[in-house]
Amino acid sequence: MIEVVGLSKRFGSTLAVDDLTFSVKPGAITGFLGPNGAGKSTTMRAILGLVRPNAGTTSILGQQYRELDQPVRRVGVLLETFDAHPGRSGRNHLRVLALAGGIPRARVDEVLSLVDLGQASRRRVKGYSLGMRQRLGLAAALLGDPEVLVLDEPANGLDPQGIRWLRDFLRTLAADGRTILVSSHVLAEVAQTVDEVVIIHRGKLVQQVAMAELEAMAAGSTTVRSPEAERLATLLAEADMGVRAVGDGRLAVAAPPEQIGEIAAANGVVLHELSVERATLEEVFLELTGEPGERGA
Amino acid sequence: MRLFGAELLKLRTLRSTWGFGLVALAFGALVTAGDIGGSTELDRLDPELQSRIVLDAAFAVSILALLVGIILVTNEFRHGTIARTLLATPRRGRFVAVKLLTGAVAGAALFLLMLVVIAVTAVIWLGILDVPLAPGEAADGLWRALFAVVLAGTFGAAVGGAVHSQVGALVGALVWMFVLEPICWVVLGLLDLDSIAEYLPAASLGRLVDSDGGGDVPWLGASGAFLGWITVATVLAVLRTRRRDIT
Repeated sequence: MIEVVGLSKRFGSTLAVDDLTFSVKPGAITGFLGPNGAGKSTTMRAILGLVRPNAGTTSILGQQYRELDQPVRRVGVLLETFDAHPGRSGRNHLRVLALAGGIPRARVDEVLSLVDLGQASRRRVKGYSLGMRQRLGLAAALLGDPEVLVLDEPANGLDPQGIRWLRDFLRTLAADGRTILVSSHVLAEVAQTVDEVVIIHRGKLVQQVAMAELEAMAAGSTTVRSPEAERLATLLAEADMGVRAVGDGRLAVAAPPEQIGEIAAANGVVLHELSVERATLEEVFLELTGEPGERGA
Repeated sequence: MRLFGAELLKLRTLRSTWGFGLVALAFGALVTAGDIGGSTELDRLDPELQSRIVLDAAFAVSILALLVGIILVTNEFRHGTIARTLLATPRRGRFVAVKLLTGAVAGAALFLLMLVVIAVTAVIWLGILDVPLAPGEAADGLWRALFAVVLAGTFGAAVGGAVHSQVGALVGALVWMFVLEPICWVVLGLLDLDSIAEYLPAASLGRLVDSDGGGDVPWLGASGAFLGWITVATVLAVLRTRRRDIT
């Protein structure tokens, strides 16, 4: 279990994370999504005690990271920045981590073989490709066979086979009851893997929602425009429909147009537009994060 | 203990560490050759010569230990390995303490390497010259030299922890020792404050391995002064490391 409550972090004049609250359940994979610069890495580093928050609290397994006994054995971490000394071999890098974490040396060979890095393990890290570095980072994260995994952009640099392996592997770990938080700035990259998504933008929580619900938004969203949009939104919400105002008197409703039309007619609400939207997941993501033009910046 | 073992493994698995070891060997050989070759026949019979060789080499190796101490901390920040290290050692005060201990042990290891080459060179050379060995005198020098080198390694780690920038710490330490502090000595001398100058970091370290017995500050005073500098640097290292965001 990971919990973030009211987290804020400022770097100089930049507010990187702004009163962010969310939780990550065990036994599921939670995607942590947002455009570049949304505050994902800062939040993850705050959870791991690498960044000191200006406000709020974070906890893993009910404790602050720094309070955990043998943290390497309990929390596996992959950071976006590469964290091995270029002059050391991949194998020695893992040996150092194993020794520091009280992990048996035999586990080093196990994880090297798991990430398919056995052949290159005695080479110095500075000669590794991006994909090999990412595999080494994953090996480091898995070294302690941890209950919790915090992975920042784990698919970066992996080839399609590697991404598929990672996806299947994470699913196996989640099925085993472990807590997994995976960040990405591309929804499509994690859509097939995650059970739930936490979407942030400019450091603020946009939505924490089940992946199935996000998919429903994409597949069955209906746009309705009315001069009485506010009243209509209330009526639809009372009928247990997911409603979001999308501006200009428009509402995006997670329900078929027939049901919406019936409720409007029964309550005498005038409609100017009623149309089915078939958005892609990526479009839903962009709409939620508000500013499509910023993506990839 | 696990963390300390990991730090030693980090040192052992980098080529640069072995490079420093080779330099320590070279220093030991050069100083021994210089001291024996540069002394008169009468001087060679003086039992203090053997102690002086060890102490002279120890000053050079102390500088080396200082640099190794700085590097073993600043490498973490330079290569971004600090995040992974702090994930294993989230209590940053403990991180600094382990680094200081590693700096001390690295200094001792360099000292042992130096000692091997001094012993081999001196025993062979003095044997050829029929100069009797004086283990008692050498042993006195040995303890003082070991103490100085261990403290220098510790001080280096503390400086690295306080500065974090590798270039800044290395250049800063060398410029202080060989440029700024000598200027301070001159300025303080002009102000009739020579006694204060002897308590500055490089001067007190030098006094620890001073084979002439010169200077106004006793060995114990110099030890206290250098331990004081280590304490100051350690406090700065703990404060700086605790406050730093690892981004």
